Amino acid sequence: MEEKKELWAPFVATDEGREKIWSKERSFAQDVWFRFRHKKSALLGLVLIGLSLVFALAGPLMTTRSYSDQTLDYVSIPPWFRVYTMEDGTFLYLTSSMRPIQVAEDGTLGAPLVRIQDDMVTKKITYEYGADVVTVDYSQKPPAILDAAGQRMTAGKMVWNKTYPLGTDNLGRDLLVRLMYGARISLLVAFVAAAINLVIGVLYGGVAGYFGGNVDLVMMRIVDVISTIPLTLYVILIMVVMGQGLHSIIIALSSVYWVDMARVVRGQVLSLKGQEFVYAARTIGSSTGKILLSHLIPNAMGPILVTATMLIPSAIFMEAFLSFIGLGIPAPMASLGTMCNDAIAALRVCPYQLFWPAVAICLIMFAFNFVGDGLRDALDPKLKK
Amino acid sequence: MKKKLLALLTAVLMLTSLLAGCGGTPASGSSGSQSGEAAPVKQEVVFALQNLPDILDPNVTNNSFAAPFLDNLFEGLVAYDKDNNLVAGNAESWTISEDGLTYTFTLRDGLKWSDGSDLTAQDYLYTMKRILTPSTAALYVNMLTDYVAGAQEYYDALANGQEPDEEALGIKAPDDKTLVLTLKAPAPYYLGILAMYTFVPTQQAAVEAAPETWAQSAENYISNGPFKMTQYNFNESIVLEKNPNYWNAENVKLEKLTFRFILEPSTALSAFEAGEIDGFRTIPPADLPRLKAESDALQVAPSFATTYYMFNCQNEVLKDVRVRQALSLAVDRTALIENVLQTTDTPAYALVSPGYSVDGVDYTEGRSTYGLSPTADVEAAQKLLAEAGYPNGEGFPKLRLSYYTDANVKKIAEALQEMWKTNLGIDTEITVADWAVYYDSVQAGDYDICAMGWSADYLHPTTFFPLFVTGNVNNNSFYSNPEYDALYAQAAVMTDAQAAMEVMHQAEDMLMADMPFLPLYYRATTYMLRPGVKDVNMSPLAQLYFKDAYVAE
Repeated sequence: MEEKKELWAPFVATDEGREKIWSKERSFAQDVWFRFRHKKSALLGLVLIGLSLVFALAGPLMTTRSYSDQTLDYVSIPPWFRVYTMEDGTFLYLTSSMRPIQVAEDGTLGAPLVRIQDDMVTKKITYEYGADVVTVDYSQKPPAILDAAGQRMTAGKMVWNKTYPLGTDNLGRDLLVRLMYGARISLLVAFVAAAINLVIGVLYGGVAGYFGGNVDLVMMRIVDVISTIPLTLYVILIMVVMGQGLHSIIIALSSVYWVDMARVVRGQVLSLKGQEFVYAARTIGSSTGKILLSHLIPNAMGPILVTATMLIPSAIFMEAFLSFIGLGIPAPMASLGTMCNDAIAALRVCPYQLFWPAVAICLIMFAFNFVGDGLRDALDPKLKK
Repeated sequence: MKKKLLALLTAVLMLTSLLAGCGGTPASGSSGSQSGEAAPVKQEVVFALQNLPDILDPNVTNNSFAAPFLDNLFEGLVAYDKDNNLVAGNAESWTISEDGLTYTFTLRDGLKWSDGSDLTAQDYLYTMKRILTPSTAALYVNMLTDYVAGAQEYYDALANGQEPDEEALGIKAPDDKTLVLTLKAPAPYYLGILAMYTFVPTQQAAVEAAPETWAQSAENYISNGPFKMTQYNFNESIVLEKNPNYWNAENVKLEKLTFRFILEPSTALSAFEAGEIDGFRTIPPADLPRLKAESDALQVAPSFATTYYMFNCQNEVLKDVRVRQALSLAVDRTALIENVLQTTDTPAYALVSPGYSVDGVDYTEGRSTYGLSPTADVEAAQKLLAEAGYPNGEGFPKLRLSYYTDANVKKIAEALQEMWKTNLGIDTEITVADWAVYYDSVQAGDYDICAMGWSADYLHPTTFFPLFVTGNVNNNSFYSNPEYDALYAQAAVMTDAQAAMEVMHQAEDMLMADMPFLPLYYRATTYMLRPGVKDVNMSPLAQLYFKDAYVAE
């Protein structure tokens, strides 16, 4: 057997080599991102938030319609419907108020027909249709359009509503446009409330935790008092003073929601302030503010971020809830909650009107919850195990 | 994993089909299943109400939610027949003196209370005096004090703790069968007022036995109408049965009439479609188009009522009549009725609703439309607004558009807001409150434009006119026009119906030239009633009479 000496060489160890970390070096942020992106639900949530932001912010720019534009001829038109194919190959859609509307082949809504006569005895309504006449028979249920021979026709072809992809509400407003504005309100409330809560909660909790003792005692009892008063009561009181509107909701949410954040930050600061780096900072004479802002809070950033992310969906839900019970955004502005409220009366007849805002609320809340979960796991891997 | 998903899907599908099965119960399924094929149909009707009455004391209340009970439990001197004509009730006949001041009623023979005791003119006298006693707190007391001679003085004397002057009071019962009423001034519509449930007799013995509570239990409740109360299940139902002591009992076919309280309209609709009830009153607005198209139980009755929006004439901007006219002209009433409400109401251009006629000619026939049309007249509206100093709505302040919590009223308010915005370039701010809070602020004048309506108390246009008379308690628009006030005062006492109509037309012309309100539509009452139940009468005053009703199948 021939020895291949050239394949073997003695290992030369240097001090530099010994200390080198051979795996890929990652900063804390990179580490968090690495763990975050390996959680599918968190990524999905992030994508959903991105999409809803685009939908809410860029969407309204792409349409000329406004959230308040009413077309009373097109009241409660569903997103898809069956149309009657007339003899000349045109299409008619019969609304729930027994009025035929012309529909193009691709589903674009045309003009509604003009009524000539409503015969209550034979239960037939006649409409002008070009040079022709169209008769709607409601003597039998459900009403139907009669053909030339006087026979009841059946609506066959299924068409998507091209003019209003998500349909219209009970005042002929475009649900898609209203949904965009509604999502915009929800996200606005969420981010503003979260930002304000972040500032108040972090400072309040930081001060309470750092000073401890009687300061802590008084400050935390105030927090307890605030958290026991129901939010709806606040909102009603604030509305009496400031009037109905978005600002009242934001103020109400911001004045209450920071208590959770304050508790979290206080707990973190309490446990951190006894550690050596804080003593070190004190020894070299750093001011209290400096210690709090550049030593304690950055170290508590993980839990703070998680709490903030978790706060957003509950703020969104709270806004929707308040608008739903009529305490929120005044008409005609759309919010997901007012849209649900408008739709609930017509639930039996037009369920799609409730479906869209409800789905939107669900998706946005899921998205933020997923991201919050993902962030918690990524920031504090100990919790995961 | 996939198997689990499949199982879940199957479960969901099963659940949906189950639900669909529940919803699919035919609407025509009647409660007739209780009666066998051969057996005669039970003369029983269950009607659901969506509001609780406050109290069932006819002399005291003015609550329209109590009306369905009072109108069927009692009968006054005069009553309405099924064609809504005023006919003899407890009074067999009456004479009115030449000067229109003295009404002499002769009661029928053998009138009895539901407990079998005799009912005489003394009972009527007692009732009238009871209404005039301040401690009774009768809410319609002004219907006596405003019209009957000596009534106001009688009331004031009692209120001040003095002995009232019995002689001067214009209500007398010379014998057991005669009742004489003397009015201060002629009021040709006073018979209609006497047909209100306020003036039905209440039994002195029953009332005095339990002054506070007699109207709260079936045992103490004595009435004199086609039905008597047999069960009072608080917040649940009230059961009426045929009153055998009613003078016309042989023509009352219904044996039992149950009023159930189902407060939520959509629940009532479900109960109706499941065949649990034979009818109900408040139809969920969103279901109305569907029911109109699909149900043969939907009933529409004309109503002597007008829905309008009131302008606050004290408001700096709304003081200008051109602004008020512009706002009114810019409204598309047809679109509101046909598309937003999807009802069969009629567009309104004035105050008085159709329904009152003299010699077969309706009051509204030949009346001007006051420049208003079924659809919006945008050009004329813009022109008027420009003349008032707001071309294209520039510089127009943001007015409040107030309405009370109600699904239909909300839709109208939002549609109006949008019409003014697109047609006139005016922005308004919508405010909403519950009725009690809302009505307080309207009465206090704390509004700019507000939703309002008027349902007549009696079938005569004079029920509408006081709404805009200076100083009237219901004049919340603060409109004041001495000429209009004078014309109304003149019309109210005229005995010649034809001539009175002329004067009322003049008054209304004057009112509409100033347009202190925005007429929207004349209301119709819609309700659901199983087709097998016949001859139920929903009067134009929105009162529900079952005295002629019967179950055919």
